[in-house]
Amino acid sequence: MHTIRTFLVMVSFFLIMPGAGAFAEDMSARDLIESCWDYMRGRASESLVDMTIHRPEWERTMTIKAWTKGRSDSLFFIKAPPKDKGNATLKKGNDMWTYNPKVNRVIKLPPSMMSQSWMGSDFSNNDLAKSDSIIQDYDHTIESTHTRQDKTVYVIKSMPKPAAPVVWGMQRITLREDFVLLEEIFYDEDLEPVKQMTTQDIAPLGGRLFPSVWKMFKTDTPEAYTQLEYRSLTFTDDLPARLFTRSSLKNPPR
Amino acid sequence: MSMHFTMAWRNIWRNPRRTVLTVSAIAFACLVLIFMLSFQFGSYETMINAAVQIQTGHFKIQHKQFHENHNIRKTIAHPDAVAGILDKTAGVAAYTFRSRAFSIVSSEDRTYGALVIGIDPDSEARASRLPDLIREGQYLSDTDTDKALIGRLLARNLKVKIGDEVTLLGQGRDGSVAAAVVTIKGIYSSGQDDFDRAGLHIPLDYFQQVYTMTGQVHSVVAIVHSLDRVAEIKQQVQTRIQTLETGNLLIVRDWSEIMPGLKQAISMDLVSGLIFWLLLIIVVAFSILNTFLMAIFERTREFGVMMAIGTAPSRLMKILLTESMFMTVVGMGAGIVLGILVTLFFQTRGIDIGGASELLNQYGITGRIYPKLSVLSTAVGPAMVFVITFVAALYPALKVRRLNPVEAMHFA
Repeated sequence: MHTIRTFLVMVSFFLIMPGAGAFAEDMSARDLIESCWDYMRGRASESLVDMTIHRPEWERTMTIKAWTKGRSDSLFFIKAPPKDKGNATLKKGNDMWTYNPKVNRVIKLPPSMMSQSWMGSDFSNNDLAKSDSIIQDYDHTIESTHTRQDKTVYVIKSMPKPAAPVVWGMQRITLREDFVLLEEIFYDEDLEPVKQMTTQDIAPLGGRLFPSVWKMFKTDTPEAYTQLEYRSLTFTDDLPARLFTRSSLKNPPR
Repeated sequence: MSMHFTMAWRNIWRNPRRTVLTVSAIAFACLVLIFMLSFQFGSYETMINAAVQIQTGHFKIQHKQFHENHNIRKTIAHPDAVAGILDKTAGVAAYTFRSRAFSIVSSEDRTYGALVIGIDPDSEARASRLPDLIREGQYLSDTDTDKALIGRLLARNLKVKIGDEVTLLGQGRDGSVAAAVVTIKGIYSSGQDDFDRAGLHIPLDYFQQVYTMTGQVHSVVAIVHSLDRVAEIKQQVQTRIQTLETGNLLIVRDWSEIMPGLKQAISMDLVSGLIFWLLLIIVVAFSILNTFLMAIFERTREFGVMMAIGTAPSRLMKILLTESMFMTVVGMGAGIVLGILVTLFFQTRGIDIGGASELLNQYGITGRIYPKLSVLSTAVGPAMVFVITFVAALYPALKVRRLNPVEAMHFA
């Protein structure tokens, strides 16, 4: 009896093997991205970041305090320069609000604004929120692997699913076996690169290896870029839900 | 020589009714063509002027890169120097400064992305029709600060009325967050949906303060006295601007470059007009050909007699062509005079087009259209009629040469 069952399992295993092989590979690319996103985002985090918008003739730095929770909640506060201090953005699910202390109003941003640039930077609201769109709306395949500093590096090609509501024609994501994100390139519908993000200075940060510098630029104008530099980063298991409410926008927690 | 002129002149008046019919056909064709062409040119001018007086001006001066990507940093650093040049350029009727920034515009319960435009209320009133377009509330005054004019459709989208507050949230020239709360003072409607949906206007001084760009503007918009001279004046301004300190960074563009769509719409309309005229001319050509041919059949016996008493066929042909020429000249003369009179009549009175034409509505024209008589519109139609009648007359004239006198005299 036992042997028969084993035999049947073996046969069915071989029968579904070809399909299962492709499926497994697909899953692993998706798993890699999902694990990477979870790793970079943590369950919840609190950070202080300097954002520098660099243009050939001009440069400006802002200091931002950020809280994130899970896959969809985030809260940003501008700490400096004084002129912009107190401006805040809250993202909850697919909804986004912004607050300006000068006019003392909370404004709900329309969903179309999610792909717009944030505060004039090269990052879109979606980029900053490390939104789940990449996991839900794309099909992933591992394009190549190589080894860098004794670690396996995966290059993953992500094509949008048919009819997925996304702006990119393709994304190419490079990540390390320990789920550290190295590079993300965004392509248009003609599969020409539009903008790209690279990470640098991978160091222990908030209890894990984490890139402390993130740089985003349009592929054809690398001299105009936006750089995020982590001053501090803490990962926690949880943050209180009341932090991610509209009332927090007006009254920044510490 | 003069004999066949006399004969031709007498011949055509031997059957006055036939001649009058032919002459009227020619005159009518000329009249219609002159009027139609003038009307078309007039409506284009009305269209262009209406369109430029809402938004673009006849020409516009901007930073080269602002024109390319509307980057808020690419300003005209010394608008007064540009103003000095425009003051000295003959033919410039008015000009005004504007600035603009794409911003989030939010009412109590709605949020839209929109264009916030800073205008100088005083000079804007001279260079654009904005004050006339106010349908509710009032136009901005010189002393207003946090007041705004808003397009009808944007107002409807945001669900705001006169006196309501709207929050603007954008980015200043220095990269800082630009935010302001403004009160709606007026609602404008231009008839151009794009324009009425796109944005809201606030005083330029206030704009410069909110978007931290003191003393700088994004564009200088100018109106000229005569549409025909736009290209020439634009060229002059372009040359003079190069002498400014940062002049090589600036670019002057005229309405046809700013609104290629309008230019294309005009070309398309012109082509469809041409097809219509061509049909008209073909009809006229056949009616003239018909009258000429009928005349030949009716007069076959007469030609036979003339040939029998020794008139050379070439002479007969000359007489026939002269006859047709007389009729054409008389018809054209009458047609041109009548055409000019009719056109001038409507040129002073205007033609009420109501809400008839969608194309015109799209460019903000809802009132009257004034035909515009010009040398071109007067000459083109009659010239075409002349060519066509000459060709139409040639056929019967050539046919006469092949007549046999004896057979012709026995022609029933």
